[in-house]
Amino acid sequence: MIFNLEGLTVYFPYEYLYPEQYRYMLELKRALDAKGHGCLEMPTGTGKTITCLSLITSYQLQNPECGKLIYCTRTVPEMEKVLAELRNLQAYREKHVGKASQIMALGLSSRKNMCIHPKVADEGSRESVDANCRRLTASWVRDKHMAALANEEEAPENAPELCEFFEDYEKEGPNAILPPGVYTLADLRDFGRKKGWCPYFLARHMISFANVVVYNYQYLLDPKVANMVSRELERECVVVFDEAHNIDNVCIEALSVNLRQQTLDGASRNIAQLTQRIEHVKAHDEQRLREEYTRLVNGLAQQGVLDRARSDQLIANPVISEDILREAVPGNIRRAEHFIAFLRRFVEYLKQRMRGGSVEQETPIAFLAHLQQTAAIDGKTLKFCYDRITSLLKTLEVVDTEDFSAISLICDFATLVGTYEKGFALILEPYDERYPNIPDPVFQLTCLDASYAIAPVFDKFNSVFITSGTLSPINLYPQLLGFKPVCSAALDMTLTRECLCPMVITRGADQQMVSTKFDMRDDPGVIQNYGRVLIDLCSCVPDGIVAFFVSYSYMEQIISKWHETGVLQQVMRRKLVFLETQDVVETSLALDNYRRACNCGRGAVFLSVARGKIAEGIDFDRHYGRAVIMYGVPYQYTLSRILRARLEYLRETFQIKEADFLSFDAVRQAAQCVGRVIRSKADYGLMVFCDKRYNSHDKRGKLPKWITSHLHEQQLNLSTDMAVAIARQFMRDMAQPYDRAGQMGKSLLDQNSVNAMAAAAGFGPPTIGPPPPKPMGGPMGGPMGGPMGGAGPMTIG
Amino acid sequence: MYEPDDEDLAAEEQAASLKVACPERTWEDLEEDETGRLRITHGDKQYREKRRKIAMAAANSHVCKGMIRFLYVVVDLSQAVNEADMRPSRLAVVSGILYKFFREYFNQNPLSQLGLVVTRNGIAERLTELSGSPESHITALKENLEAAGDMSIQNSLEQVQSSLAQLPTYGTREVLFVVSALSSCDPGNVHTAIAAAKSANIRVSVVSVAAELHICRRMTEETGGMFGVSQSQHHLEDLLMAHAPPPPLNEQATKASLVEMGFPQKRPLDKGAFFSGRGGEYVCPRCASRVEVNPTHPKFVENIKINNPVTFLQELPAQCSVCSLTLVSSPHLARSYHHLFPVAPFEVHRPVIMQELNDAAKLDATNCFACNLKFDRSGARGNDDAPSVCPRCKKIYCFQCDVFIHEKLHNCPGCEIDKAKGYKNSA
Repeated sequence: MIFNLEGLTVYFPYEYLYPEQYRYMLELKRALDAKGHGCLEMPTGTGKTITCLSLITSYQLQNPECGKLIYCTRTVPEMEKVLAELRNLQAYREKHVGKASQIMALGLSSRKNMCIHPKVADEGSRESVDANCRRLTASWVRDKHMAALANEEEAPENAPELCEFFEDYEKEGPNAILPPGVYTLADLRDFGRKKGWCPYFLARHMISFANVVVYNYQYLLDPKVANMVSRELERECVVVFDEAHNIDNVCIEALSVNLRQQTLDGASRNIAQLTQRIEHVKAHDEQRLREEYTRLVNGLAQQGVLDRARSDQLIANPVISEDILREAVPGNIRRAEHFIAFLRRFVEYLKQRMRGGSVEQETPIAFLAHLQQTAAIDGKTLKFCYDRITSLLKTLEVVDTEDFSAISLICDFATLVGTYEKGFALILEPYDERYPNIPDPVFQLTCLDASYAIAPVFDKFNSVFITSGTLSPINLYPQLLGFKPVCSAALDMTLTRECLCPMVITRGADQQMVSTKFDMRDDPGVIQNYGRVLIDLCSCVPDGIVAFFVSYSYMEQIISKWHETGVLQQVMRRKLVFLETQDVVETSLALDNYRRACNCGRGAVFLSVARGKIAEGIDFDRHYGRAVIMYGVPYQYTLSRILRARLEYLRETFQIKEADFLSFDAVRQAAQCVGRVIRSKADYGLMVFCDKRYNSHDKRGKLPKWITSHLHEQQLNLSTDMAVAIARQFMRDMAQPYDRAGQMGKSLLDQNSVNAMAAAAGFGPPTIGPPPPKPMGGPMGGPMGGPMGGAGPMTIG
Repeated sequence: MYEPDDEDLAAEEQAASLKVACPERTWEDLEEDETGRLRITHGDKQYREKRRKIAMAAANSHVCKGMIRFLYVVVDLSQAVNEADMRPSRLAVVSGILYKFFREYFNQNPLSQLGLVVTRNGIAERLTELSGSPESHITALKENLEAAGDMSIQNSLEQVQSSLAQLPTYGTREVLFVVSALSSCDPGNVHTAIAAAKSANIRVSVVSVAAELHICRRMTEETGGMFGVSQSQHHLEDLLMAHAPPPPLNEQATKASLVEMGFPQKRPLDKGAFFSGRGGEYVCPRCASRVEVNPTHPKFVENIKINNPVTFLQELPAQCSVCSLTLVSSPHLARSYHHLFPVAPFEVHRPVIMQELNDAAKLDATNCFACNLKFDRSGARGNDDAPSVCPRCKKIYCFQCDVFIHEKLHNCPGCEIDKAKGYKNSA
């Protein structure tokens, strides 16, 4: 479908459009016109991704000055999904517009997902793939290789091995480019194999040519990665964060460092190794150390110690680049041996702190003061730790960065603590809360302010959009992330039938209230009633049911109680029971068997945990989830010191009340859990909230609009038996044949009705093809056309 | 102490318990109109539904239909049938409707056969073999109504398939599941059983009492059957009865072939016979032998085989036990005919048109041609009484007669009279 949206010709690859997609596009377009940021909520299953892609690429086509679309996803499968949609869109555009509208789109991931080198790609972990790749592609390794080849006496086998794919790619130089098209990771690998080029470096190179780049959040948010990959993106780019309901946590994690005893021990070992290497280099090639010293004297910034050549980038600075003072490295760590001594002192200091048996919490300022006092290390020097270690590792020609991860973590820590005075907290916990007798000290540097990590993104790019199925309450996100959106909307789902049925169960059949409140959760009556809910729903809901608990420990406790009282046996008679555990392999096996049980008609229950892997990434669409039960309100562990510190910070800085934030966080997790069950409009599912607290307005009001609009008065404050009666009826109604014709015009728009909407807004039919080149300095004025200006030249041209 | 909250809760509960107790509040559907007559408000919906059905039948009249069907009904007798969400229980409701269905099936498909399988305790038992008499199925089901354990789709399919696979290819092979359970307990992979059924050209349909079970939907989609979930008792009956008329014929699955049939004679009983039956016995027209009922299944009473000549066939259609000729009676063939040539759907008559018609056919327009009841001229009482007109003979009928003609009679009286007149005239 091609239509005119307030003067913009939108190419949408499907025949029908949902009304909410139209509204979503409208919001996006207005924000793009205003060059501002946005915050958009639209329920899952309404085609958010394709809406977003089709509008922004159409916008790019019509406004060539608009930059790339940078689409950030959380996981690799999501990335593949986006690229598949893009390919669909691309095929459609090619059919209707021709070659002129070709998109260059590609996904970018870590080396682990992209490497095609037969040996390196087989490595298990991400770090080892990275390290092995470096071993084959670092510039000094290549130099050595060349030298060895030049030196005829040595046998060629002795020359260090190189990666042929990288060499071939390097040979092509800037000519190594991809033809336009949409490339998933698999496509890139295939292309790389065909041409003999390294797909990873090719993809990184191609970013500057692409119209659409799809990659992980980290590539923009984590300053270490962002500096390498996303530095050269231009200001006009449009950034989209998909599934961004947890973006504040991602931001915080990107700037937080945890140190354990093992880290410190590892760091000591690293220091010893480094000392050895320095001695070695001193003996053989002192020139190199001297060169480094002079470079450092001249200052970091001017000389560009970190000349970010593509392959030599070992590890990047954890601090956002603008925050680094543009000045030279202080004198006391310029010499390699001095720096090592400095690090040794710092690690010893940390070790000593860790030995303390009590919980401590302090601000970075207090930490620095104490550090100054005891170890005579000042904050300014700490700030440069990261750059200094990078430079040192490079000078020493270290390729196994994996081995030196401990010391680089320490340097991360040092640089962060030296740079930021506000918005961080240092927390030392000598033991795990659960096992107070086993010393397991953790020194945590936690970021309290999500806006630090994301601020450069908002500053750098014109338009940044945050979108998800659950962003309610939508006004809280701009506050947390510190930006001013020009559009913020929560769109509802238009349905011809009520295909989602939220219910709030507040009491069991015996009228006893149910809740996971701290004082009630161990009550046998509550546990029994929770069991009753599961049994009763199992006997009226077909196929799959998913139940979410508030935590692993609570789940374990309740399951053992259910086992004792025979609840589990009753459930097992009706359906098979599967559990999520903390072990990923075990869980995925359970999930696989769960799916099989649903497929063959046996029926199954999956018991899972809110905030777990299942709740975040796995869809329970169609018969895999006909009902989802949310047991309790999934609050965070409120005694956690990190959370306490963050709450305090939020209260002082943003005036967000503790209770408000906690219930916001809990409800968004609950909404995320229950949202797993609906993945398209033809799908249907029950959403059962089992806690009396959901009945209160402050919890219910925080649920997304698309859930609350279906939460009618008669579905609130239910007892189990009433809920079962509703569930029975719902299952029967939803199983009736679903006719598409009834949706027409109401929840589905065809070409005619969209054209009519455009005509009503005063716009003519769409013009197909890219806009004609505008005459330079012509009477048309600026290229930017608002809704009024844009319409004129569009329809004429 | 007065606590408003509790009171509210109590009221709510009462409403809820009422709702649980009586999911269909039939009395709420009744309404009194200005003349004091009671009417069902759901009538409007029913009316449209019936119209739609008639139109569907007419629209499908050009589609080939299988006149000879071999249908197995698989009744789920798992524990789930004891649920009380239908009054008095699902089991009572389902079995009651099934009895009706058996009769209706043979009424509509006199040449077809039906067998009965029940599944419980994870296994499937074949209660009756394929045969042509509804009463034997009804008695068999009546005697076996204990529910227990789980249902098994795979076992039922395999059980049914072993019997259906040997049947001649001119008939359609069908299975109709009546499912109450929400899960199927299978010994192996149910998907292979479905694939086997598909390759044996068996059309599997499912009527579910409770909810949509994925495996059932998938099974019907793969084998080209129908899937339905009942919303209420009435809906369940509609869904089941929808399986009584023959389904469209699958061209690949069934081959047209010459089916030999004989019209047996009914012979009065020999004087020498020492028992007294009703009427007489049938004699095969080809081999002149007497036709027995189920000759392979002699009756046992306390383990003593009784070779009772009472088992001589009294009902058609059947097979001759000697030369295995299919025996039918001519009215059966004639009755099967109406599926191929349904009465054309009648058109709705609006009052305006009636005014015009008044001049042309005054008498016809004021009274129903069939039942001779007077029409309500105003037409204000909804669609219930809107008269309809036959497009061929232009006679006007009331809605009740319209439905009766299309669903039961399969002949338009007006057209028949015209035909008769035509004969007379030509003669």
